[in-house]
Formats: sequence, structure tokens, C-alpha cells
Amino acid sequence: MTSYVSFCKKEVLESWRTYRLVIMLVAFIALGVLSPLLAKLLPDLLSGTDLGNGIILQMPPATALDSWTQYFKNIGQMGVLILVIVFCGVTGTELSKGTLTTILAKGMRRSTVILAKFSVATVIWTLSFVVSLAVTYAYTVYYWGSGPLPHALLAFGSLWVFGVLLIACMVLGGILLSTIYGALVAVAVVVVAGNLVALSPATAPYNPISLAGGTVALLDGSKTTGDFLPAVWISLALILVLLGASVAVFDKKQV
Amino acid sequence: MSEQLRTYLPILIPLAVIELGLLIAALIHIFTHKHYRFGNRWLWVIIAVLINLIGPILYFVIGRGDADDEGDR
Repeated sequence: MTSYVSFCKKEVLESWRTYRLVIMLVAFIALGVLSPLLAKLLPDLLSGTDLGNGIILQMPPATALDSWTQYFKNIGQMGVLILVIVFCGVTGTELSKGTLTTILAKGMRRSTVILAKFSVATVIWTLSFVVSLAVTYAYTVYYWGSGPLPHALLAFGSLWVFGVLLIACMVLGGILLSTIYGALVAVAVVVVAGNLVALSPATAPYNPISLAGGTVALLDGSKTTGDFLPAVWISLALILVLLGASVAVFDKKQV
Repeated sequence: MSEQLRTYLPILIPLAVIELGLLIAALIHIFTHKHYRFGNRWLWVIIAVLINLIGPILYFVIGRGDADDEGDR
């Protein structure tokens, strides 16, 4: 336990020194600001556009829901992209540099290394996610007033779970190939596979990919919790499997 | 228009501060360091300036040289 805590401290310090922590927070604040801004700007920008034949485009004024739609789109795409860029080296960097060799030789358990790296990355992702959510929430209330957000916990929680799933992928990918490219390949495999499965709409409630922004449909009531809950459970199970596999592979690996 | 602009100001200013801040921080880091993990100075300047928000992030995460290069110009 003490070695876990001290390795976590080392990871946090490293995230600070390599600017990862600051970059995540700043980028997610920016995304949080961007979402209500886009929602508010788009109708004003597009309204009055002449579509030809004398038809003038009329857009209804933006609502709080537009702001949340933008939020889910921004975090589900840009946010996830930033998460992958920042944490693609979560396990691969140290393995390729060989800096873990001494620490493991001193008797640090390999599962501790993996768990500590995963938990610090997850905490930073959680922090960034909550910050962006708070910023968007504040602006949305400021411009449109507070309205009901049905199933908010599931809607926002599943976007968060998707991020954690990607972190677990990157942990395993880095362990498998010992480079940051391993993490990128693992994410690419999961995203491509998820999108291929998504070609069949019937699988959507079970597909973790539908958690990447799709849950905004819960807020406007066009989908129900049953359309996403199975995917959440599958993602959580996948996270455990990926972590277990990372530990198993790492235990057998020559460092 | 000025009336409209005023409703956007509370949201435009923080966004501009964040994006410009990141860009300036990246440019300062690029010009005070000589070694990059790959690419050269001008490649990173172009990436940081042209790709909004993601450009400076890419530089800090992927382009920035290792900490041992700190200080050499």
C-alpha cells in the first residue's frame, strides 16, 4: 500500500513536470467555454444566410439543450482526442526508456506500477472532465437559466466511463508494445472495432462507442436509460479485463 | 451589433485568454529550447500557430524535448 501511494506521488509529480496536468485542465476549461459559445453563436451566424431562390435561412434561437449538445460533441471528440494525445505515453514511455528497471529490481510489484499509473491518469481525467462540466454548466445557466437535466448522472457518467476505458486501453497497449505507439494502436483498434460494430444499429445499447457523446439523447428524452446502461456495464467490465490483462502481460515481460 | 457583442464578451474573453496563453507559452518554450523529440523549430512554430488549441498541446506533449535539454539554447 505504501509503495502504491509513493508511486502515485511520483506519477502526479511527473504529470506536473511534463505539463500534462496543466494541459489537460486548460484544454478542458477551453472546451467547457467553447460549447455554450458555439451553441449561442451558430444561430446568429447562420440566420439570414441566403440559400438562393430568395429563401432566407431562419434558425430558432439557441437553447440550453443546444449548449449541452455542443458539450457532448466537443468532449466526445476533441476532449477524447486530447486525452489520448496526453496519455498515450502512460506506460509506453517508461518502458521504452527503461526507467522502470531499477524500481522493479528494488522489489516494487508490477501490478502496483500498473494500478498507480492507471489511477493517476483516471484522477486527472476526472478532474478535467468535472472542470469542463462545471464551466459549461455555469455558462449555460448564465445564458439560458437552469432547466431540468433528466438522467444527468448517466448521461455525463457514461462519457466519463468512455474516457476511463480509453485510459485502460492505452495502459495495455503501452505494456504490449513498450512504446507510445502501442497505446495509439490499442485506441485505434478499439475505436475502429466499435465503429464497425456500430454499423448494425441493433448493437448500439451494448456498444461502448455509443457512450462517446451519444448520451446527450438522454437529456432531450429521445432515448431512455435502457439504451445506454448495458454499454456502461460492458465498458466497466472491459476496463477490469484490460487492467487484468495488463498486469498478466507485464508480469511475464522482460524489462 | 455592439449590443450583441456585449452578450458574447463574458464568454469570448476567457476563451481568448486561454487559447492565446497556451499559444504564447508554447512559442516561448519553442524559442528557448533547441532540441525537440522530432521536427525542427519552424515546424513546431507552424503547428502551434495554425492548429487552434490542439497545436500547442501537441508541442508540449509530443514535440518538447526531454527535461535534460532544459536550459541549453
